[in-house]
Amino acid sequence: MADDFIFDFLHMEIVNFVQRTTSPDDKDKVISKLEQMGYRVGQSLIEKFTRESPRFSSELDIIKFVCKDLWNGVYKKQVDNLRTNHQGVYVLQDNKFRLLTQMSSGKQYMEAAPQYLAFPCGLIRGGLANLGVNCVVTAEVSTMPACKFQVMIQRT
Amino acid sequence: MSRQSSRATDPRKISQELFTLTYGALVAQLVKDYEGDEEVNKQLDKMGYNIGIRLVEDFLARSGIGRCNDFRETADIIAKSGFRMFLGVTPSVSNWSPAGDEFSLLMDNNPLTDFVELPEDHSNLNYSNVLCGVIRGALESVQMDVSVRFVQDTLKGDNQTEIRVKFIQRLEDALPAGEE
Amino acid sequence: MTIYNLYVFDRFGTCLFYQEWNRYKQSGMSKDEEYKLMYGLIFSIKSFISRISPMDFKDGFLNYSTNCYRLHFFETPSGLKFILNTGLNVGPMREVLQHLYSGIYVDLIVRNPLCSLNKPIESLLFKTKLDAYIRGLPAFTADEGTQH
Repeated sequence: MADDFIFDFLHMEIVNFVQRTTSPDDKDKVISKLEQMGYRVGQSLIEKFTRESPRFSSELDIIKFVCKDLWNGVYKKQVDNLRTNHQGVYVLQDNKFRLLTQMSSGKQYMEAAPQYLAFPCGLIRGGLANLGVNCVVTAEVSTMPACKFQVMIQRT
Repeated sequence: MSRQSSRATDPRKISQELFTLTYGALVAQLVKDYEGDEEVNKQLDKMGYNIGIRLVEDFLARSGIGRCNDFRETADIIAKSGFRMFLGVTPSVSNWSPAGDEFSLLMDNNPLTDFVELPEDHSNLNYSNVLCGVIRGALESVQMDVSVRFVQDTLKGDNQTEIRVKFIQRLEDALPAGEE
Repeated sequence: MTIYNLYVFDRFGTCLFYQEWNRYKQSGMSKDEEYKLMYGLIFSIKSFISRISPMDFKDGFLNYSTNCYRLHFFETPSGLKFILNTGLNVGPMREVLQHLYSGIYVDLIVRNPLCSLNKPIESLLFKTKLDAYIRGLPAFTADEGTQH
């Protein structure tokens, strides 16, 4: 069994690596690369997670699973608050997001937060995609270490 | 509610999977970004080094282990405490060189490579090369200059995974400015 | 009882962090010069002590005192050096310094990807936590101002 912190250290270095190897004026590229890595991991992770689970009864049921089980497994806590407009937008609020808690409690280092949230956004998107829910996931920080993830379901 | 409980998954197991899968995604990205296997190995080693210099502080803080008396003690701590704490496996320490400056870490089971198959056209890829960098970075932080390399890898059909660690020199504290 | 000031050095002699609480007299030199002297002093004490010691020891240099203050020293196997100056009637500070390392430095610097390990510390979170911890210690009372 791996230690809980080992993922944090690995993730930290992955962000560092992607930044180091991407041209500094291409911030979007950094974000999208990290997001895609998160997406791939999310897809496979959910696969192993839900293999023996019963089928979900609704979209909301799936989102709740993300807020509880996925969050607990990955970040060792649950999402603090879930809101929805019942039209396919869900806002997951984490008041102490694990990957931000060591950084700041306030505004310091705010500008760096998006790089550390790209992989987690991808992780959610990949996980949901594997459960048949296509969506766009974005993150927003107003005061660290609190963070909101917005999941917009794409219906086509 | 009974449905919910049937879905509960052991969080420790998820940590392990998350780590292994994330590492896999990283290697896949590197293989895509870089031309040759050698370059990928180099990048993995470099990233491992950066991880190692932080990981060692975490390790020292949590284990409360003090400075080692000799290289044999270092080898034991890496295997029995370091690998166990972070990867949940305990490699055996063996194949000491006669001078006592080189040893191997042997693993039957490498958690980084769960579910991994090496593609055929990447025969020179040391998939778990990050471990070499981690060991090098961690030991450099405790003032030991070492070289670390993969000797055997179960991914390449070997019976076990073998990492060779060679002591080069002790590093001293920086002299105060102005003194030579 | 009181706590005067704290220095943290890395093994390259860079002063990563400095803070003072109840320091009533300055050294009369620039901070950089003071850091260099402090690092030099610790370096010399360490090498002197290990050379002169009649037997092998594990912990090395722990503290010295003058007739007005005591300097406490704690070093990690990774060469980080924590130096805390306190009043004379403050007992061993080893556990306090150990906590500064494992509870505060490792948590907030080592695990913060935005802090380089070999550059002076800028994290406000670190500074706030450390300050609160020191001020909360029983040894911290600013009542010795008149003694100097």
